[in-house]
Amino acid sequence: MNADQIQQIAVWLAATDIGLLELRGPGLSLALRQDAGAVTVVDRDEAAQAEAASAPAADMPTITAASVGVFLHRHPLREQALAAPGAAVQAGQAIGLLQIGLLLLPVTAPGDATVQELLVAHGTTVGYGTPLVSLMTRTTP
Amino acid sequence: MIEILSNSALATVQDLGREGGLRWGVGTSGAMDPLALAAGNILLGNDEGAAGIEMPVFPFSLRFGADTVFALTGADAEARLDDFPLLPWATVQARAGQVLQLGLPRRSGAWAASRAYLCVAGGIDVPAVLGSRSTQLRGAFGGLDGRALRQGDVLQVGVSQANCNDGLGLLPPALAMPLERDGLPAMRVLPAAEYTHYTEASRSAFWDQPWKITAQSDRYGFRLEGQPLEAVAAIEMRSHGIVPGVIQVPPGGQPIVQMRDAQPSGGYPKLGTVIEADLWRLGQAPAGSRVRFIQCDWDSALAALADNRRWLDEARRLVELQRLQRGKR
Repeated sequence: MNADQIQQIAVWLAATDIGLLELRGPGLSLALRQDAGAVTVVDRDEAAQAEAASAPAADMPTITAASVGVFLHRHPLREQALAAPGAAVQAGQAIGLLQIGLLLLPVTAPGDATVQELLVAHGTTVGYGTPLVSLMTRTTP
Repeated sequence: MIEILSNSALATVQDLGREGGLRWGVGTSGAMDPLALAAGNILLGNDEGAAGIEMPVFPFSLRFGADTVFALTGADAEARLDDFPLLPWATVQARAGQVLQLGLPRRSGAWAASRAYLCVAGGIDVPAVLGSRSTQLRGAFGGLDGRALRQGDVLQVGVSQANCNDGLGLLPPALAMPLERDGLPAMRVLPAAEYTHYTEASRSAFWDQPWKITAQSDRYGFRLEGQPLEAVAAIEMRSHGIVPGVIQVPPGGQPIVQMRDAQPSGGYPKLGTVIEADLWRLGQAPAGSRVRFIQCDWDSALAALADNRRWLDEARRLVELQRLQRGKR
């Protein structure tokens, strides 16, 4: 990928409301950040460090979207939310779903925890990396 | 390996059916909801026609004898793996010794269904008989020894190369391709040979009124209850070939829809045929519930079958794409 192509992608990106664009392919790794129309290249190491630094303390992790999709609080077959605020969830349990067309990807709890807040309304289209759920680690009695 | 813990008497091993045997008097059998079975197989990277377990009676439980990736589709029946609550229409990793339990199917959600399907990566490994692993109850062959599963039965699981332990799920076709009339689940019907032998009033009532699925409904046939259908004159017929979906009208005027275990011939007059593409909708309708019928023609029956095919192809494409992306990450 040459500079012109990256420039073009930056122009396209500036016209969207996408915050972070990552492209990976054979021998290619590009990350662009967009903030109010200003697009900057994200340094991979820097990004990794920033991620590590902003990694939530173990006692209050936030789950982010692993894909673009529609965030669902409840399974389409059910009337009740998978996990309401305050609900105790087990490691691996689905707290929400990301719908991509016919596909449903589970948004799962990384460990035993209590759901603090669902950060995005049911049925909202979200981008990659959008914070979806905040959790509180549960101390096992 | 899977060990059946419940004495259900009605759960059976099924695939998509035994086609081509009607000429010898061998009925089709196969899943009452073939879309649910195929979807479970697609989620697991199996062939669509791999055998699974159809569970029409709840609660039901079984134990996995080895680590197994499985998918539950069809009715959402409060499934749990040991104490862990499961989502319907999704893949799950079971560890050796874990127990899968299904409760009663939910009736409050978006789809009231009556049969759950368990598919496993690699498929249920029973011998294929006449080209199918479906249980043929009438002939007592296929599936596990030609009979329904019972407590203590052990089923072998086939080998799978697919990497499908990812919790991936599918939007059920009942939601992606809904079909209702006046809030009731509906099925499209082609008028059959004796359609015009019924009175005008009976014919319109057939399309315009709800039909209750009585408790005398099973894999062989669904007995319906509604305003009795009246023939213009008494109809006497010789036995002739019939297929699943055929709506027969016995002298009492209450129709019977032939289902997957239908016998291959019958002598009652035929008012219509539930189209092949919509048999899954009827197959999932619970006893006691009411359904509606929608008149359709040959072309729209074929188009409906193509819609089902498109749904399955799209599901397969999205599942494979998702796994490809995941593999690259």
